[in-house]
Amino acid sequence: MTTKNQTISQSTGQTTDWNALDTEAFRQTVRTFFEQNYPAEMRYPKTRLRWAEIKDWYMTLSKKGWIAPSWPQVHGGMGLSPEKLIVFIEEQERWGVGRAPDMGITMIGPLLIQYGSEEQRQKYLPKIIQGENIWCQGYSEPNAGSDLASLRTDAVEDGDDFIINGQKTWTTLAQDATHIFLLARTDKTVKKQEGISFLLADFTTPGITVRPIRNIAGHEEFCEVFFENVRVPKANLVGGLNQGWGIAKALLGFERIFLGSPKQSQYALSRVEEAAHALGLFGDQGFVDRYTQLQLDVADLSALYVRFVEQVKRGEKLGPDVSMLKVWAAETFSRLANLLVEITGGSGAVAGDIEVNGKKIDVLTSFYNARPATIYGGSSEIQRNILAASVLQLRS
Amino acid sequence: MNSDYLDTERQDNIRMLAESAQTFATKASPLTRARGLRGSASGFDRSFWDKLAEQGWTGLLIPEAFAGYGQGFGEMAAVVSALATQVVPEPVVPALVFASRAIEHTGNGDLQQQLLASIVAGELIPGVAWQEELAGLQVNLLASAVVAAPTNSGIQLTGEKHHVRPGADCDGFIVTAKQGNGLSLWWVPANATGVKVQSVALADGTSEASVRFDGVMLDNSQCLAQGDAATVAFTRAYDEALVMTGVELLALQQAMLNMTLEYLRTRVQFGKPIGSFQALQHRAVDLLIQQELTSSVLSQALVMLDGADSNAFERSAMASRVKARASDAGLLLARESIQLHGAIGFTDEYDLGLYVQRALVLSAWLGNAQMHRRRYANLTQMNTASV
Repeated sequence: MTTKNQTISQSTGQTTDWNALDTEAFRQTVRTFFEQNYPAEMRYPKTRLRWAEIKDWYMTLSKKGWIAPSWPQVHGGMGLSPEKLIVFIEEQERWGVGRAPDMGITMIGPLLIQYGSEEQRQKYLPKIIQGENIWCQGYSEPNAGSDLASLRTDAVEDGDDFIINGQKTWTTLAQDATHIFLLARTDKTVKKQEGISFLLADFTTPGITVRPIRNIAGHEEFCEVFFENVRVPKANLVGGLNQGWGIAKALLGFERIFLGSPKQSQYALSRVEEAAHALGLFGDQGFVDRYTQLQLDVADLSALYVRFVEQVKRGEKLGPDVSMLKVWAAETFSRLANLLVEITGGSGAVAGDIEVNGKKIDVLTSFYNARPATIYGGSSEIQRNILAASVLQLRS
Repeated sequence: MNSDYLDTERQDNIRMLAESAQTFATKASPLTRARGLRGSASGFDRSFWDKLAEQGWTGLLIPEAFAGYGQGFGEMAAVVSALATQVVPEPVVPALVFASRAIEHTGNGDLQQQLLASIVAGELIPGVAWQEELAGLQVNLLASAVVAAPTNSGIQLTGEKHHVRPGADCDGFIVTAKQGNGLSLWWVPANATGVKVQSVALADGTSEASVRFDGVMLDNSQCLAQGDAATVAFTRAYDEALVMTGVELLALQQAMLNMTLEYLRTRVQFGKPIGSFQALQHRAVDLLIQQELTSSVLSQALVMLDGADSNAFERSAMASRVKARASDAGLLLARESIQLHGAIGFTDEYDLGLYVQRALVLSAWLGNAQMHRRRYANLTQMNTASV
């Protein structure tokens, strides 16, 4: 333990007990750092930033020891309490800090911390912290979307390796990734959920092809990933053979917490607020009433978020009830995006910024970003199915 | 509510209290009792109040210095929640939170001592007479039309207050009055000369009152607080009452959702339980989400109320958040529970209606969701402006 601590401290700078600071002092520290270090021209980016654009910022955070706010300090994170994590997110969104390719930080990292082998932790976690490895998530396939367990990409054991064949799709920012974590079928003779394994693959392995897909916002944010006789060592199996569905469900828990964070909604709320100021709408009671309702939807989303994050911090497993967080987060974000289109009236369809009273307003980015939010990570409808069956005990 | 934020020992104590309160409430106040008292003279039963006093609950929140038990809001919430689950008609939050806290927050030693001791003993059921608007969304928390003014023969109280709970069999009122340019808080016994109580029947079979003060003569010994001290005491008690009303509304939401889920699981149509249909499942999930949002914001609010150092702005904003969410979610649960039940849900004989009617009453009391969203907006704007 001591050795690892020292290694981490050397690679990430000093460790501080952030949770010992009072909320306002912590907020000021974070705010000041963002204001002084995040490049002004990259505030409120219209699209997901590509690695080339956000790399410097990633490295800045990494050097500061702030790249993984929720990870335990022993693994190079900030070890923030749920309340402090909320403050960190609020300040990020307030300053319009762009989102880096963060699958390593938000998904595979926490997963390896909980389910990985010591060897996997040592091999991968420091490289995520240092920005050497960029991860993407290989789940969906052309015929396995909402019915993910029907996936067909297969991995066949061959000596010390698996040989992977198949296709993943809607893989976010795969073109910038160095690694992928994926679900593959390792047993075709059993119930579909029981023959899936969770594997890690390095993109330099021969046989992997990445092809970007353009979305309706005009950006290449997701990709197809093809696997043709891709040979990965058995050491890349996370959890046991055919245990992938259980691991994936645990990861879905992390994913739902991440996707359920108030981040996007706070971002959209700050966009609506800025636009409403420029448009002089805060004198309009009709607008103020709707704005306040959404503001409270976001505030109460934070309260719900804190509850689930605390559960994770206590080391408890997340239950199926975390789906409600994802539904509320995505749908609140969507309502805010709708409001932004509505209040800009006749300019609600302008591609790019509009200018009102000297203020630039970006109308459609939130609208576009809100579309996938209710689809990825389990659509709102799938989340409601899960809640109905597993929480409310309503059987189909 | 989720009480995970508390230390283990207190969590255990609250859990035990919640269990014993639930056992007591189920036994001492079956739903048939609540049903039977609907529309009766006072709408509740004074002998049941004696039982609450025997349990020690009339003094639960009151500090030991005033002969109470000095427990926190977490503990009080456990009791309030259990009683709300049985749709108990006695004015627990109006008297034991709103009125009793307003008295506690003021500094008039003798009167304070005497009133709080009577409350603990279960002998006194007070109400707060503060609201001057009959309807609408503009609610002024501080008095303007009810005035305490000096005359030749002393200070006289004049004006009318609405939506006072309990609306009958209330022993006296904490009245907010304009005095000069400030606020003052007065204790006015219900039988004082010049007090006219007009009971108004409410949807749930209890009542509220419009109370007229026709030149009621006030003695200085009746004054609980004046000026800033009065504003501070009243606002704090009001915020605390908002949060505890949120606790009641959450208990009602849970009761309605449980009844509805049980019905969806057992009611068979087209050869299947109707809860197997996805359209109904998804509607039920949306109710769950609203219930859990209420629960989450309430957990934070209870921590804040029990904490030592909440600033008044933050506390008021939080209390309005609670009331807004709990009221909206309460009414949504009420409407949707009826719809998901079908005609039986609209039948008086069926118990769902007891919860629906109480949810209507509590959503409107102390300001509805929309009024509290506006209060929140004003508070946060003021807060931003002052920073």
